[in-house]
Amino acid sequence: MRFNKLLLIFFIFSVGTRVSAQTWVVPDDQKGVVASFKFTPDMQKQGEQIYVKNCQSCHGQMGKDNWAKLTPPPGDLSKEKAQVQTDGELFYRITAGKVPMPEFRNILAEDDRWWVIAYIRSFNPKYVQPNPVAKAAFTGRIVTLAMQYSDPMKKIVVSATEQLKEGQTGPAAGVEVMLYVKRYFGSMQVGDIKTTNAKGEVMFEFPADLPGNKDGFVEVTARVNDPKSVMKTTPANAALAIGAKTDKPSLTDTRAWWSVRSQAPIWILLTYTLSVIIVWGFILYIVYSIMKIRKLSKG
Amino acid sequence: MEDSNTPHSPHDSEDQKNSTRRNFLKNIGLAGVGVATGAAALYSGHIFEAKKEVSGDQKVLLTQDGKLVQVDSLEIKAMEKTGTSLHEVEGREGIPGRRFVMVTDLSKCRNARKCINSCQDAHQLRPEQYHMNTLQMQDTPNTAPYHMPKNCQHCDNPPCVSVCPVDATYKRPDGIVLIDNERCIGCRFCMAACPYSARIFNWIEPKDAATHEGQNYNVELNVPQRTGTISKCLFSADRLREGKLPYCVEACPNGVYYFGDENEDAVTNGTTKETVRLSKLLRDNGGYQLMPELGTKPRVYYLPPKNRLFPFEEATDATPEKV
Amino acid sequence: MTMDENKLTFDKITADLTHHIRINKGFLLWMGFLTVSLLVCLYAYSLQLRNGLGVAGIRDYVTWGMYLANFVFFVAASLIGMLISAVLGLIGMKWLTPITRIAETIAVAFAAVAGLVIVSDMGRPERLAYVFLYGRPQSPILWDVTVITTYFVLSLLLLFLPLIADMAIIHRKVPTLPSWLKPVYKFLSLNFTNHPEQNKIINRSIRILLILLIPAALSIHTVTSWLFAVTSRAGWDSTVFGPYFVSGAFVAGSAAVIIAMFFFRKNYKLENYLTDMHFNNMGKVLATVSLVYLYFNINEFLVPGYKLKHADAIHLQELFAGKDAILFWIVQLGGLIIPILFLLFRRFRNPMPLMLISAAVMIAAWFKRYLIVVPTQEHPFLPIQHVPQNFVHYTPTLIETLITIAPFILVLIIITLISKFFPVIPLHETAVEKGVDHVKFD
Repeated sequence: MRFNKLLLIFFIFSVGTRVSAQTWVVPDDQKGVVASFKFTPDMQKQGEQIYVKNCQSCHGQMGKDNWAKLTPPPGDLSKEKAQVQTDGELFYRITAGKVPMPEFRNILAEDDRWWVIAYIRSFNPKYVQPNPVAKAAFTGRIVTLAMQYSDPMKKIVVSATEQLKEGQTGPAAGVEVMLYVKRYFGSMQVGDIKTTNAKGEVMFEFPADLPGNKDGFVEVTARVNDPKSVMKTTPANAALAIGAKTDKPSLTDTRAWWSVRSQAPIWILLTYTLSVIIVWGFILYIVYSIMKIRKLSKG
Repeated sequence: MEDSNTPHSPHDSEDQKNSTRRNFLKNIGLAGVGVATGAAALYSGHIFEAKKEVSGDQKVLLTQDGKLVQVDSLEIKAMEKTGTSLHEVEGREGIPGRRFVMVTDLSKCRNARKCINSCQDAHQLRPEQYHMNTLQMQDTPNTAPYHMPKNCQHCDNPPCVSVCPVDATYKRPDGIVLIDNERCIGCRFCMAACPYSARIFNWIEPKDAATHEGQNYNVELNVPQRTGTISKCLFSADRLREGKLPYCVEACPNGVYYFGDENEDAVTNGTTKETVRLSKLLRDNGGYQLMPELGTKPRVYYLPPKNRLFPFEEATDATPEKV
Repeated sequence: MTMDENKLTFDKITADLTHHIRINKGFLLWMGFLTVSLLVCLYAYSLQLRNGLGVAGIRDYVTWGMYLANFVFFVAASLIGMLISAVLGLIGMKWLTPITRIAETIAVAFAAVAGLVIVSDMGRPERLAYVFLYGRPQSPILWDVTVITTYFVLSLLLLFLPLIADMAIIHRKVPTLPSWLKPVYKFLSLNFTNHPEQNKIINRSIRILLILLIPAALSIHTVTSWLFAVTSRAGWDSTVFGPYFVSGAFVAGSAAVIIAMFFFRKNYKLENYLTDMHFNNMGKVLATVSLVYLYFNINEFLVPGYKLKHADAIHLQELFAGKDAILFWIVQLGGLIIPILFLLFRRFRNPMPLMLISAAVMIAAWFKRYLIVVPTQEHPFLPIQHVPQNFVHYTPTLIETLITIAPFILVLIIITLISKFFPVIPLHETAVEKGVDHVKFD
């Protein structure tokens, strides 16, 4: 598991060496990155909401020094240690994360991340935002994925197409592709990252025991692995009947001790009702007999 | 607070097909009438005393027939609402096709207690009231201590639900065990029956009761909490309905919790948001349940506290001396 | 028998057994005292109604405290009606006749009040009717409510049926009966004229009731024991809890009957009817049921004590040598073992010593229920952490104590009223047994 490996690495580094905080080096080319827009009070407000939801549980309320007691200490972001960093450094750290700080690359949109920085900067009166730099025209690869299921091979075939110069398209070789299946709380990666061949194709085996819906349908997504965001990519989605058919009964279908009254086991209902009827039948009979005593005196 | 404590008259019921029931009620009623009236008289005396106060703070209210009226704020009382609870029907039916499950990785828990705070905020709980509590465990004298977050195990054979006399706590088709605090009579049999000590009781007026007065009861969030009724972890049923992870799972800074749907064989980590296969996670890490020998069939799994990431630190208590 | 058989006439029996049926100063003072005490306790209950169960010392771990111990005690004491009337009565033990009404009075009083005691333990007592509206037949609480109600009605009928003839006699022959009560007695005596058909109906009804009473009584206490035994907690998770509770109930009930016999005999001058023989025999009954109870106690503690499973070991440690040890040994020795030893000797089965032994047994019986209910909850399977100190150890509050006392006052009121306005010894039956049943009704 990727996460566990990361944790293990972190563990090895953090024990005794105390280098964890210092070794979080931001690549030089990232330090100078600046936002493509001017921060506004509106953005700060949006950023605050995002901060409260995603950051506050560790970093605490801004300016209150009530951050969580973790190792390494997350620290209060209104303080100097955070504020001396460039916007680019902050942006990189939020984007890439470093255990135990989560990577927000896939959790927050790029603009969201900048808004959080806008909020963090609002606690620094000395901060002057560097001039926004409009995003340069895109020069990297533009890759579009398509997906289909090959019955004879029992495999999912993802083909990557690339925009070549002058509006032409061709197969994209050497592109890293990841396959995800949709689950209730998020997307789950299926198999490892695979690289497209010269035909721009890559094949994934789909585990036959992975549950789909009751007809075996699963929603799968193929995405390009592009951690540094150097490409412009379009993922491919499909609903395929390749999962295990899953139609488990609801957990309350049985009649059990713990069922609601209407689902009580029949024998309990019968025993209870019959006992009550019999005993109270006798009681009513006795009450009726007692009534008769009064009439008998006249006889 | 109720404004009357007289027992419901037997004629209140719509469900009186059974003549034996009527008889029971009559007899209990006969026996209880003496004391109950005495108590009622005393009690209504109190209410009367309380009512005489005037705050001077006038509130403008819209009546049912559309008139605006001015009422002293102390005169405003919440109505006994029946059949208006949020999610009254869906709250019992659950989310179709799901079987929710939780995995708690003990190797990552360092007692940050963010789960607890987030949970207590969401459910309007006092600091000593836990739906989720982290316990400092040590299984044997020679084994290492560890922190164990403990919440309701949402058992598939729930002893608490078995003993409930009035269907106030119930199991849903999606596996969640919920409480209807508009039904609960406060007998606390469920607390006695739960081997995990997962249930709590509102012994005194719930936190900020005045603020939440009149708020519609939401059975999937169990708020507002009510004096004299049970509360416990609900797997954040309200969040699940929106496809969101439970409060505690999302609040954990250390990646302790995974939450998901057993039917999909997938759980999502609340911190990293990574989704993994449930079966593989349990298989690779030696997943286990708490006290499986009791046959309760919990829906919460634990991953053993091996290769812990952080040195063990004694927990410090911030709870009040007495409540 | 110390009574002079020759002098025994119907009028003498009537006078002996009914001379106390009048409103006198002592009665009014006693009732006044009880009423005032009850009002104080009801005030405490009104505080609980207003502020919630938090006014008591019970909290999230020890969630059942004195109220539930009290409930178990009241159910237990009420069981004696069944032992005396049904079991021993059906076997045909004639010496029991003068005791049956005392036993039934105790049964009715304790069963009626047991129903109220459980209401005092409810977080939302105004929802009592929900038990009937939404009752789940899988819950032992529904069974308990059902059988206690049934047992109460059966006991009430069993108290009433022999009273029909007695009331027919009283409203004619007792001059001290307050005049406003005369029409009530006349109405309740159902025009009883000692007609053979009337006697036949009464006798047949009593026989049916006696038979129904046995399963009903066994059920009330077995089901009450299941409130604990259906859980998996150490100290409650036991298969002998039903008979353990039932036998314990007979001990408490026999003691209650002996105490009542003693005071009725003294206050209502019934020495000729409740003789030393009756005390001697009741002493033997108490010794017998105590021995049975001892047997179940040994089972209850020796078997888990042999295996010492983790949770059981903690539980037994606390009881035998820990926090609850002093109370535990006082209860076990003073309420069970020492009484059994004393009761083996004839001289301790005389009225006064027997009453004192019974009082000790009765008090121990209450604390025994406390020891069954509370300590188990103080050590659940998982540790109690991060909660206030008063969650960890249960300490009853003053309000809670007052609310616990209230049912005792109520029982005393009920027993006083029944014994004051009806013959403590069945009048008609005694006359029939003595062969002086030449009652003329106009």
